[in-house]
Amino acid sequence: MINKFFKSKRDDEAALIQNLIDGDPVAFEHAVAEYHNLMLSVARAIVGSSVADEVVQEAWLSAIKALPKFEGRSSLKTWLVQIVSNGAKSRVRRENRYTSLDVGWEAIPADKFDHTGHRIDNVSAWEHATPEALLANEQLQTVIEQAFQALPAMQRAAMTMIDMEGFKIEEVCNILDVSSSNARVLLHRARVAVHQSIEQYQDN
Amino acid sequence: MLQCKDVIEETSNYIDGDLPFFKRVGLFLHVAICRCCRNYIDQIRQTIHTLAVTKPTELDDTDKQALAQKLHKACEKKNAGNH
Repeated sequence: MINKFFKSKRDDEAALIQNLIDGDPVAFEHAVAEYHNLMLSVARAIVGSSVADEVVQEAWLSAIKALPKFEGRSSLKTWLVQIVSNGAKSRVRRENRYTSLDVGWEAIPADKFDHTGHRIDNVSAWEHATPEALLANEQLQTVIEQAFQALPAMQRAAMTMIDMEGFKIEEVCNILDVSSSNARVLLHRARVAVHQSIEQYQDN
Repeated sequence: MLQCKDVIEETSNYIDGDLPFFKRVGLFLHVAICRCCRNYIDQIRQTIHTLAVTKPTELDDTDKQALAQKLHKACEKKNAGNH
């Protein structure tokens, strides 16, 4: 069943690539709808918001030009992300930009622990125990969306790639040009921040 | 023995299976006796599952229709140049 799913995804992707090469306008709409947001996330993480749009547009044009040479060694998604990552990194080198991992990070408040490092607040199980139950609540979906958008760009990109798009941590290190421990820190901070927003919502 | 503070720091590594053996055992022992940390780890797991389903996106005001058209034109131009 799973093999069938992946095979059909591969077939869909092969068809999309062929349609793009052939110049089918619907294929371009589909590709932009499917991958643009992810590419933007990666570009913002590396170069910052002000030039990210430009970097992504350049990446799209390079990708379309290079598409006939695409060998399918990775998925189309990974390939596009690599192109935007390379473009963004060379822009960073040109403009000597620097992105700090610590922008926007707030630790769990120290007053939640006693002097031995044990929690003094009570963490109870969530009422809505399943993701499906969480999702049935529209207000909570908005809370999650807002919490995600308030994260620093590096954290958003790490979370998008790993928790939503299924990238491996090594791929993310390479794409964002961070060490594996830094990628884990980014991911953990992002998860903690989104968790806090859900927790606050549950408490209210 | 790990403290709750350490568990919070290591929760993602624990869930993702990236903890070294002895730390993993230490965390496991802590969680066995600490309901708060057990619930916390479950909540982070639920957060991850929820994110995978909701897939929140970047704020993005790109005119995607216009971008698709621009790329299509670039492709047509390239294809015409090849013939």
